[in-house]
Amino acid sequence: MSKTSLLPCSLMLAPLIGVTGSLASALGLWLMFVVVISAFGLGMNILRPRLLPATHLWASVLLSATLTSCAELGAQVWSLQWHHQIGIYAALLALQCVVLEHNGFFQSTWRDRLRLYGLFGALMVSLGLLREFIGYGTLGHHLSWLVAATHAQWQGWGLTTDGGLRLATLAPGGFILLGLLIAAWQAWHRPTPSH
Amino acid sequence: MNRASSVAILVLLGAFGIGLSYLAQLNSAPRIAAEQRLIDSRNLLDLLPPASYDNQPLEQPLTLQDTALGNSTLMAGYRATKAGQPYAVLLRSQTLGYAGAIDLLIAIDANARLIGVKTLKQAETPGLGARIADWPNAWLQSFTGKSRFDPDDKGWALKKDLGQFDQLAGATITSRAVINATHDALRYFDEHRQQLLGSAGHE
Repeated sequence: MSKTSLLPCSLMLAPLIGVTGSLASALGLWLMFVVVISAFGLGMNILRPRLLPATHLWASVLLSATLTSCAELGAQVWSLQWHHQIGIYAALLALQCVVLEHNGFFQSTWRDRLRLYGLFGALMVSLGLLREFIGYGTLGHHLSWLVAATHAQWQGWGLTTDGGLRLATLAPGGFILLGLLIAAWQAWHRPTPSH
Repeated sequence: MNRASSVAILVLLGAFGIGLSYLAQLNSAPRIAAEQRLIDSRNLLDLLPPASYDNQPLEQPLTLQDTALGNSTLMAGYRATKAGQPYAVLLRSQTLGYAGAIDLLIAIDANARLIGVKTLKQAETPGLGARIADWPNAWLQSFTGKSRFDPDDKGWALKKDLGQFDQLAGATITSRAVINATHDALRYFDEHRQQLLGSAGHE
């Protein structure tokens, strides 16, 4: 990641810790992220040639606010319980859009953008899986909320009866787990010392 | 791409954004409210067996009189009916537990027998008194089927108080509060039976 992408990446840290308490919310927020950012990118690509560079910021703020409000309302209509769990992190997407635009994300190639989506998705899903497994002892609990079934029969796989380590479902546990994952990644990729 | 056209586009964008958000909000607000009511009612009403009532009890709260009972206060009352006949009365009662107020939902059927008790709000010690908030709850299920006269007034207490009920391990005060609140609600139901069950109630 280049230096200029420091701000967008640090913004992504907030949903990464806040929403990944369970797999359903992590997956849902990633889907919302992809939809909103793609729509925003399309909109800005249409508007950018027609606007003075000084007004790009205003336009991006207006567009991102509109898109995020509509996306949140849509999410509430689709599945109210899931939206309760996501809480404020859906609204953070608006800020994310503006910052990405400011960094010129939407002017990079298709491949770069897909890489970002994929990386974010992989991180969210893996962190969500791990935290739900360690914290609650279930996998896919409340996944039925994502498909708008408020009272589904299937409650996900329950792996341990008494729940797991409660720390993993809270934010500090999320940070610890993320730190451990980063340490493991770096240890894996450490260049072998040459003698 | 000059200044005037940029400003014009911005103004248009702003107007479009506000209009779209307003329309979306207008269209989705009733559906969101209905869904929220459904979730709330499912949460509160899973005390009653699912097919036993066909009205919306939470939409028509009952007006209660003399709600200050011996050990608790009644906050609200609801009636569940099936085909016009009253099936159960739900009383929301608030009592003082060990660390704060406990809100209970007590369901009594038309024959003055307890269907169940559910904890709505509590601030008791986690792991001890707070176990009344688990659902389904084995200890609260021990009240099902009891009535005001079965056990009698002396039996409506903990075993260590010469009554009939086991306490929650390590939570004597919480258990006493729940038992007293439930007994109060049963007594209230007995005294105001006609009014709670409505004109179609049978003695």
